[in-house]
Amino acid sequence: MSVSRFLGRSVLYLAAFSAVFPMVWTVINAFKNRVDIVTPTPLFIFTPTLDNFAYVLGRESVATGLVNSLIAAGGSVLIGALLGLPAAYAIARYPNRWSADIQFFVLSLRFLPPVAVAIPLMVIWLDLGFYDTRLSLILTYTLLTLATVIWLGVPAFAQVPKEVEEAARVDGYGPYAVFLRVALPIAARSLIGAVAFAFVLVWNEFLIALMLTTSDAKTLPIVASELTQLGRDVPWGILNASVVLLSIPPLLLVGILSGLLNNAFRRNSK
Amino acid sequence: MKSRTSLPAVFLAPPLAILAVLAFVPTAYAIYISFRDRELSRPDGSFVGLQNYLDLFSDRRFINAVGVSLTWEVLTVTLTLLVAIALGILLFEFASSRMRGVMTLLFLVPVILPRVSAAFVWKFAFHPLYGIVTYPYKAITGQPLDLLSSPATALMTVALVDVWQWGLFFAVIVLKLLETLPPQPFEAARLDHARPWEVYAYVALPMLKAPLISLAFIKMIESLRAFDLIYVMTRGGPGIATETLDMYAFSQGFIESGRISYASGMAVLMMLATTVIFTVIWKRVKP
Repeated sequence: MSVSRFLGRSVLYLAAFSAVFPMVWTVINAFKNRVDIVTPTPLFIFTPTLDNFAYVLGRESVATGLVNSLIAAGGSVLIGALLGLPAAYAIARYPNRWSADIQFFVLSLRFLPPVAVAIPLMVIWLDLGFYDTRLSLILTYTLLTLATVIWLGVPAFAQVPKEVEEAARVDGYGPYAVFLRVALPIAARSLIGAVAFAFVLVWNEFLIALMLTTSDAKTLPIVASELTQLGRDVPWGILNASVVLLSIPPLLLVGILSGLLNNAFRRNSK
Repeated sequence: MKSRTSLPAVFLAPPLAILAVLAFVPTAYAIYISFRDRELSRPDGSFVGLQNYLDLFSDRRFINAVGVSLTWEVLTVTLTLLVAIALGILLFEFASSRMRGVMTLLFLVPVILPRVSAAFVWKFAFHPLYGIVTYPYKAITGQPLDLLSSPATALMTVALVDVWQWGLFFAVIVLKLLETLPPQPFEAARLDHARPWEVYAYVALPMLKAPLISLAFIKMIESLRAFDLIYVMTRGGPGIATETLDMYAFSQGFIESGRISYASGMAVLMMLATTVIFTVIWKRVKP
C-alpha cells in the first residue's frame, strides 16, 4: 500500500515540477548573459544580469506592444463586462423560451475557427480604413470577451439565492436596483473570476492580432513572437526576458482563476 | 410572480445585437469573398463561382493540411484526457487536502500562460544545442537531438506542449469532479474487495461519464486553436509536416501569395465542418 502511495505521489511531484519548471528556467535564463545561455551544459550558477530586461523594456516596439495590449485587452474586457454581465443576469433570472437558444448561440461562437473570423475581418477593416488600429482590435476582441462573460456569468448569477432577491423586492427595490445592489455584489467573486478569464483570453490572443495588425496596433504577443523568429545569432537572454514580461499579467491572475474554478464546483456539489 | 419589466429586453438586446453583427458579418463576408478571386495586391477581383472550392480539392497541400489537422485533434484530445484522468485520480487518491490546493495552483500555470510564451519556452527547451530537455540525450549519445526539425517527431513534439497546457488543467477538473461524487458507492465497492483501480474503472469513471464527455468536447473545440503553438515552434515545417488548416490558410492569405479568396474558401469549409460537427455532438451530449 505504501509503495503505491509513494509511487503515486512521486508522479504527482513530477507533474507539478513539469508544470512550473519550464517557466522557472525561462526566468533564470532571462537573467543570464548570452555566453551563460549558449553553453554545452545548462548552467545553474552564473552572475545574474539585468541587461536583458533593460534592453526589452527600453525597446520602443515592446513599449508600444505593451500599451496596445493593455488598451485592446482592457477596452474589450470593459465593453464585455458592461454589456455581458447584465445579459448574463437576464438569462439567469428571466428565463424565456429563447434562453436555451441564446446560450447555445453564445457557446457556438467558440466553434468558429479564429482564422475564419480573422480573414474576412481583415478585409472588412481594410475596406473601412480601420486596419491596424486599436479600435478594430478592441471591437474584434469584444466578440471574445462578451461571449465569455455571458457564458461564465450565467451560472454565477444563478448561484445567488433567489430568496435574497425576493426580499429586496419586498423592500421596494425595482428590478434594476435588485440587479445593481443585490445580485451584482453577491455574485461579485465569481464574476471577477469570469472577467479575469476574459482578460487572460484576449491578453494571450495571437492569431487575430497577427492578422489584423502590421505595425501601429501590434500587441505584445506579436512583438514577442517576432523576437523569437530572429535569425541565427539569437539574443536568447532578451527573448527569455520578453517572454517573462508577456507572461506576468496572466500569472498574477492565477489565484483569482483558481477561485473561479473552486466556486464553480462548490455550486455543483451542493 | 414576476411583474412585467423591461429588464430582459434592455439587458439582452444590445449585447446580442453586437454579437450577432460581429459573428454574422465576417461569416457572410467570408462566404462572399470565397466566390471571388480577390488578392491582397488586387482589391477588386471578380466573381468566379465555385472555382476556389474546386481548386482546393485538387490541392495536395490542402489535403495534407486536413490530415495534419485531424491527426492533431485526435492526438491532443486523446492524450489530454488520458493525462487528465490519470493525474486527477492520483490527486484524489494520494494527495492530502493541503497538497491538493497547492497542486491545483501549480497545475493551472501552464494553461494560463500565453500560447506564444508556452511555445517559446518549449521551443528553447527542445533546442538541439542549448535545450534543457534535449541535454541528457546529447550528454549520453554525443549527438544533438532535433525533435522539431524531423517530420516524424515535429507534430508530436508540438502536441506535447498542448497536452502539457491542457492535460494538467483538466487533471484539476477531474479531481474536482471526483470530489463531488458521493462516498457510498466507493465504500460499497471496497467492501466487495474491489481493487483501487477497479473502483475507478468500474465505479467512479462511469459515474462521471457525462462531464468527461463534455471535457472531451471542450478540448475538441480548443484544439482547433493550434495556430499559435505551431506558428512559433515550427511555422508548419519541416516542409509541411505540421501545417494545419489554419496555418495553411494563413500562409495562403498572407505570406506566400496573398490569395485572400482562396484562403477564405478554406475558412468557410472549416467553419462549415466545425459548426455542423460540434452542433451535432452538442445536441447529442446535452439531454
